[in-house]
Amino acid sequence: MNNFIDYKLIELGQWTVGLFNDYPVVQILVHLLLATLPLTLVFMGAFGFSTWLERKGLARIQNRLGPNRVGIFGLLQPLADGIKMLLKEDIVPDRSDKLFHFLAPVMLMVPAFIAVGFLPLGDGLMALPMDSAILFFFAVGSLNTIAVFMAGWSSRNKYSLLGGMRAVAQMISYEIPLVLSAVAVIMFSGSLNAQEIVASQQIQSWLASGNLVKEFFGQILGWHIFKPWGFAGFIFFFVAALAEANRSPFDLPEADSEIIAGHLTEYSGFKYAIFFMAEYISAFAIAGIATTLFLGGWSGPVIAGLPWFIIKMFSLFAVMIWIRGTLPRLRVDQLMGYAWKFLLPLAILNIFVAGFYYFAEQQFGSLAAFIGGWVIGFGILQTAAKGLSRLNKSPTLDGKRVYQLVE
Amino acid sequence: MTVAFYIMAAIAVLGAVMAIALRNVVHAVFSVLLFFSALAGLFILLLAEFIAVVQVLVYIGSVGILMLFAIMLTTKVTGDPTRKLLSRGWAWGGLVSGALLLAFLVPLITQSKSESNSQLSNFNPSVKDLGLTLMDPYFASVGVIALLLTAGLIAAVVAASSASGE
Amino acid sequence: MSLIAKGILQGMAVTAKNFIQSYYKKERLPTVEYPEEKSTVNQFTRNIPFLVYDGEDEIEGMRCTACKLCEKACPPQCIYIIKDTDENDKPIKRPKVFDIDSSVCMSCQLCVEVCPFESIRMDSEFELSNENRFEGLLINRDELLKSNEYYHEIHPIEAQETDDRIAAKIAEAETKKKAREEKARLAAEAKQAAAAMKAAEEAAAETETSATEQAQQSEAKAEAPEDNPETKNT
Ligand code: SF4
Ligand code: SF4
Repeated sequence: MNNFIDYKLIELGQWTVGLFNDYPVVQILVHLLLATLPLTLVFMGAFGFSTWLERKGLARIQNRLGPNRVGIFGLLQPLADGIKMLLKEDIVPDRSDKLFHFLAPVMLMVPAFIAVGFLPLGDGLMALPMDSAILFFFAVGSLNTIAVFMAGWSSRNKYSLLGGMRAVAQMISYEIPLVLSAVAVIMFSGSLNAQEIVASQQIQSWLASGNLVKEFFGQILGWHIFKPWGFAGFIFFFVAALAEANRSPFDLPEADSEIIAGHLTEYSGFKYAIFFMAEYISAFAIAGIATTLFLGGWSGPVIAGLPWFIIKMFSLFAVMIWIRGTLPRLRVDQLMGYAWKFLLPLAILNIFVAGFYYFAEQQFGSLAAFIGGWVIGFGILQTAAKGLSRLNKSPTLDGKRVYQLVE
Repeated sequence: MTVAFYIMAAIAVLGAVMAIALRNVVHAVFSVLLFFSALAGLFILLLAEFIAVVQVLVYIGSVGILMLFAIMLTTKVTGDPTRKLLSRGWAWGGLVSGALLLAFLVPLITQSKSESNSQLSNFNPSVKDLGLTLMDPYFASVGVIALLLTAGLIAAVVAASSASGE
Repeated sequence: MSLIAKGILQGMAVTAKNFIQSYYKKERLPTVEYPEEKSTVNQFTRNIPFLVYDGEDEIEGMRCTACKLCEKACPPQCIYIIKDTDENDKPIKRPKVFDIDSSVCMSCQLCVEVCPFESIRMDSEFELSNENRFEGLLINRDELLKSNEYYHEIHPIEAQETDDRIAAKIAEAETKKKAREEKARLAAEAKQAAAAMKAAEEAAAETETSATEQAQQSEAKAEAPEDNPETKNT
């Protein structure tokens, strides 16, 4: 097998735990630390790196240079930012709800880190190896909403409250297509276990064949994104994930040109930094779960395991940055309309397509199902999408737009 | 295990009491959420993973948010501070409800103590099993519920569209 | 392509192009890394006025005559001028104090427009930041004085025009001087002739004198603007 990095890491962990065989209590503690600490540190580092990546990427998209002063290529910029944030005054509005104002960033960060624990980083590399990890992930993800609401409400600021309301409305709406598009995958794999879902995306018979070429492609071709329902599901999932993570073009809760910074308006200093970090880590987590569900998780040729997972997760994050550099923000009604009138019906339809695909695979073999699925299944989805967009078209936009010039 | 249970139970009771005792409605809702999450923890202790997840997903993620949303649309978050929270005769009420609770609980507790482990041994709490159970013996009820919910959804859509457009 | 809107993909292509080309195409990355390299300012840039002087010596070559026209014209009134005096407390045509408050100046160039002596001009210096926001931003006479060569450097076309204008003025003054000398000569001759004829014709003398008076008056008029360029530019 070629995912030796994962096995080495697991071996290392077992060896470390084995050191404390004589002290059972310490051993449990060490076990816990081993499961959580590296994850926390790695993802915090990834957060720092990704802020740099985002600023650089956006800068290049906008024909700028981006941070380039601190360290080589500005790589130490996140560190400088962190220090700056730490040194800043922590301002709590006078009439705010002090307790909740303090709790909100914590409430946001804890679920974000728990969610990261449910990611299958590699073969057997999972901080919280639970049977229904995917479900847990979504459950924990829904806690974000409460934290954002807390922040918005406790600040006693109209912009904060507006941002909080927007966030709540948006997150509730987009959670449904998010989970529904994941349901197709869960149905197809027949498991809520993240590792099993990843395994279902590897063509096991090819992997076991011993043929190098077959092994190579067996790690790729089984990804759900290559199936018609998987492709559509991935798009729905990704769009909903953008909304869940408050990323552009769905960054209405913190729309800076409309409501200053939404629920973040009254936050400063380190609390703001924590908010920022939690948001990035949620974005990572959701990119990771998209990787697990649709992009084959840690499976991949040659260096299967942790490296592939990280590559895929960061690529998805890079796409998020790219989208942020491209698309303008949606309007509130467009946002809700898109979730309820477009994504939701299509996601439900996608579940049916996945079900039929599953039976077609069992009846006619995988190749026939593949071709038939792309022609028929994707055709159905396509037509449905067309029909929906026609239905949803607002009547005022029919025909040519007329602009009235101001005299 | 027992320690964890007592901690969780204490948090749950605290949350429940605070939900009644707090004057600020938003605070009260958050204590309800605290209660819900402690309950989810208790379910996990009972190895009922799925129920715990659903507890978090549905009760905290949706019901709680719904309550908050409703409260956000109200104007008075803090109630009238001059009015007492406890009405006269609360002691009697507490006594009666406590007695009722005990009357319901005691038989259950004694029953579960005496119950043999044979029934528990073939009980599989995994999600897969739960799903199979729901889909096989209880399919009819699940189907009916699904139909009802779909009907409700469609009704909501119709109501919303007829309210906005002519 | 309705699952993924075509417009989104087109937009993404545009941004991707920007991103990639910024690594090898100069026009996709026009940023100048400021403190190390400075972008060249356009020669029509204007920021804050400065005073032009000719020749080597700042004080001697100063074009400004402290006429205070610019002080009056400046809309936010950020120019402050005090006339210089000589040993006998007699005012001379030179400013002793010439302050411009750069925090108030709005770069309107009105002072430049009104100056009759081509003395005040707009600078293109942009690094004016200062640690002292009161005295530091008040630019005094000695800081304002900059040579004509500097002016040529920053605004070559405009400076050339100014120089040409001054040269034209000098030339004009020269011709006028000559004309005046000529006239004076003619007048002197006429006077001589008149003196010669005085004895002969007594009645015509009155008209003769009034003519010379008129000529003298026009000379006096011409003298005022001529005066300055002649003295300052020789
Ligand atoms: S540029 Fe305008 S504001 Fe500045 S000193 Fe001249 S007249 Fe005053
Ligand atoms: S700069 Fe020009 S207008 Fe201003 S006082 Fe000097 S000569 Fe007069």
